[in-house]
Amino acid sequence: MKNLLAGAAIALMGLTQTATADGHANYPERPIMMMVSYGAGGATDFQARIVTMTSGNEDALGMPIAILNKPGAGGRVGWNWLAGQAEADGYTLGAYNVPHFIAQSIKGGVEYSTASFEPIANWGADPAVLVVGKDSEFNTLQNVVDFAKANPGKLTTSGAGLFVGHHIAALQMEKAGDMKMAYIPTKGGGAAAMKAVIAGDVMAGINNLSDAFRAAQAGNVKILAVADLERNAFLPDVPTMMESGLAVDNASVNFRGVMVPKGTPQGIIDKLAATVPTMFENSRVAGKMKAGGSPMHVMNRDEVLAMWAARQETLKELLAGL
Amino acid sequence: MSNSSLPRVQHIMGSGVVAAVGATVCYISYTQQPSEAFLFPRLIATVFVVLALWTFVKACLGWTKVGNGLSLTQFSNLAPGLIIALIYIFWAAKGLGFYTATSIAFFILLSLYDPPPHGVLKSWVKRIITTACFMAVMYGLFALLLKVYTPREIFF
Amino acid sequence: MEFIYYFGDVFTPINFGLLLLGTIGGLILGATPGLSPTMAVALLIPFTFQLEAAQGLILLGAAYTSTVAGGAVSAILLKIPGAPANIATTLDGHAMALKGEGAKALQLSFLSSAVGGVFGVLLLIFLTPVLAQWALAFGPSHLFWLAILGVTVIGSLDSASVVKGLLSGCIGLWLATIGFDDIMGAQRFIFHPSLSGGINIIAALIGLFAIPQVITMFAKGRKNDGTEAIQVQKHPIKSAFSELFRYKRAMGIGTITGSIIGLIPGVGGQIAGLVAYDQSKKFSPDKDKFGTGHPEGLIAAESANNAMVGPSLVPLLTLSIPGSPTAAVLLGGLLIHGIFPGTDLFDNHPDVAWTFINSMLIGQILMCIFGLYVAGMAARVAQVPQSMMAAIVLGLAVFGSYSVQSSMGDVYVMASLGVMMYFLERFGFSAAPLVLGLILGPIAESNFIQGSMIATATDGLAPYFLTGALNLFLIVVVVLSVLYSGYMELRTRRYTSKEEIMG
Repeated sequence: MKNLLAGAAIALMGLTQTATADGHANYPERPIMMMVSYGAGGATDFQARIVTMTSGNEDALGMPIAILNKPGAGGRVGWNWLAGQAEADGYTLGAYNVPHFIAQSIKGGVEYSTASFEPIANWGADPAVLVVGKDSEFNTLQNVVDFAKANPGKLTTSGAGLFVGHHIAALQMEKAGDMKMAYIPTKGGGAAAMKAVIAGDVMAGINNLSDAFRAAQAGNVKILAVADLERNAFLPDVPTMMESGLAVDNASVNFRGVMVPKGTPQGIIDKLAATVPTMFENSRVAGKMKAGGSPMHVMNRDEVLAMWAARQETLKELLAGL
Repeated sequence: MSNSSLPRVQHIMGSGVVAAVGATVCYISYTQQPSEAFLFPRLIATVFVVLALWTFVKACLGWTKVGNGLSLTQFSNLAPGLIIALIYIFWAAKGLGFYTATSIAFFILLSLYDPPPHGVLKSWVKRIITTACFMAVMYGLFALLLKVYTPREIFF
Repeated sequence: MEFIYYFGDVFTPINFGLLLLGTIGGLILGATPGLSPTMAVALLIPFTFQLEAAQGLILLGAAYTSTVAGGAVSAILLKIPGAPANIATTLDGHAMALKGEGAKALQLSFLSSAVGGVFGVLLLIFLTPVLAQWALAFGPSHLFWLAILGVTVIGSLDSASVVKGLLSGCIGLWLATIGFDDIMGAQRFIFHPSLSGGINIIAALIGLFAIPQVITMFAKGRKNDGTEAIQVQKHPIKSAFSELFRYKRAMGIGTITGSIIGLIPGVGGQIAGLVAYDQSKKFSPDKDKFGTGHPEGLIAAESANNAMVGPSLVPLLTLSIPGSPTAAVLLGGLLIHGIFPGTDLFDNHPDVAWTFINSMLIGQILMCIFGLYVAGMAARVAQVPQSMMAAIVLGLAVFGSYSVQSSMGDVYVMASLGVMMYFLERFGFSAAPLVLGLILGPIAESNFIQGSMIATATDGLAPYFLTGALNLFLIVVVVLSVLYSGYMELRTRRYTSKEEIMG
């Protein structure tokens, strides 16, 4: 019995040693978990499920990725968990939303910043758009700006929360147009914010392009402008805010991608950074994303690092006055 | 049910704890910032503390109408089970891994509370089989079907 | 009548097979404490990647329908509601099981689920355009008043003492504020890192209901006299039917309340059962029997929470707004196949839309048949010796609460709340009002804050919250509800004091 135990112990030690010695060549050895800091069925969750669906293929990671939802407070709950409580063993990934988590970390009161995470790859870029109800008297961005200038603080505008992309877009609009809007954060994410616009609870709304595209297709809203540098392929007829004379850049574009908590072994980060972008480029993934009305934008680890740094600068400046 | 049958001291203690929690909550909500975020907690805490004090005063005066409290027999019956359950949940589940901890806790609880005599071998075999069956079902349901990755420290 | 053309599609071998699979699987998952309908549906999403659009939706729809109904099984037999929707079911359902009427309670619950469910789906089929407008009519101010209406129910729910009922509700409302506040992002009452995500409602539900049950079983000690198992009387299905028709009022109130509340985005099915329970109690001549194992309460609660299934999909299918977390997951199931809910769905993919809706109709009936079939067997669960039951429930509670978000924190919260609830119950507090507070708190708060932000930007607080037909109607209902409870309390108090004098 004693011998048996000793043998088992040696075998165990041997196992753990090989695992660390081989530079994580065998990673992943079991299914991986990816935390999404928004609820099941939200845009981030939906896209995360699609882009990870081929992860079990042999040419990808060879192990499936399971989605774990930790919603609450505009994503703070999930990212706090990833930064503070998740194990940095490579088996816990997280989905990021930029500018959300960067803006929240600048604003304070959370346990994370860009330094708490290591990006892996970016899969999507979902610009914020300005929407109004289908019967609204506003037909162009200029109408909205004129109203907001004439009635400071009276233009009720819904968005998915404070210090998320929608809020950043609203702040940028206020700054660019030198006007005051009444930004109404909703609980329940983009869907609740969109409901407020369709039902006429608010006069306008800022929402994800993917969700707004769907609502516009259903004939429930009018999309007036896109807060991005270029027009979007999904909405070739909708002008950018800059074209309509409002100097709003792409700082509010919602970049979605994969990251891991700081402290994850470098070997694993390298392996993920090499595999994950190709996994996103899979044609089945691209097809499903397009069908669902979700704009894709694949970026590798270095590009994401640069993008994070750039956002950090812009947002610091924008949020300084608040 | 006459009032005197209710354990007055226990009620005073119970409602005292609730009132103390109420007072703490009330204090925290009125002192924390930003005040807009604490508007609702303040409202709730105020009602909370008023109702809790009312209950406490009623308990002190012996006017409580419901709640039979806890008899000494009940307490001594539940104490070992509760202690095992708390050790299991707050330490063993994470420290030993879910499946190991659950097997041990399940078996101990079964040994403590099921009626068959402890001196008979047959009843022990039965307990072991029950534990094994339960663990098999749990593993099938959570690990295989639902693919929940539970903490596994030693063994699995 | 377009939907009739697509009935054939439900019965193709693959579709019908999926429907059966979803229904039976859903019943089992729903009956497991800690697995909510949302989780069950989310778990199935990966499978739908491989299926055609209509097939995937059939699977999801069937699972949604039957998990809601399956939740009644653990609610009745173990007093552990599988989801918030089943809280009201525990009140009379478990009392019936304790009286040995477990089989009867399960039969009634599946039958009334089916009646409510079929009615709800029929509403979805025939009245979708009208209902969509109604769903949109509820803005922040209305939802606020609706939540307040729910709060007025708290005091009279399952507690012998109104003050303690209200106090339990207050504890629940306070617990709901723990964590990050959703709109401002401020941290509130985070005494321990486990609380930073707030209190998860499913974990809380398991703790508040399951753990006190476990401790109660411990408190009975080691008994040898064979009294520890509950007897289960056989109950013929035929008499369950006649029983159901005897309580037409509860059935009607449950079905209608469930349909209306299910329609409102954001409030969802969580409170449908409780509101229906309370309403049928108020209109019943046998008020005193509620909570003691009275079939009326059970029927109202169960018909309401399945009636809500159909209407809860109206905002999703017509406006592309998911009204509940489960609907949001179903939206994903549609989008993955490139189908957008709304006009696109009904104009360009009528086969998908109607096959899905029809399958829910058939699913309700299948769910009822299987439910009735297992009712007799499932009721035997109550005969499992209590010692073993305590250990099983404890294990399920730990695994169930962990699996909600793969979080140890949720397990700690579950256990702490559970132990606290056991001792509170000894002193006359009860879990149902506490959970109701936990559910209603966030609805009331976020809608009040949102409403007041809109109000200050537009025409001011008082006009926004106090004018408009729907606001006024809801306020009147709130006032009536309070007055009624007060009146009942005074009346019972007079009776009891008379008895005391006589005694």
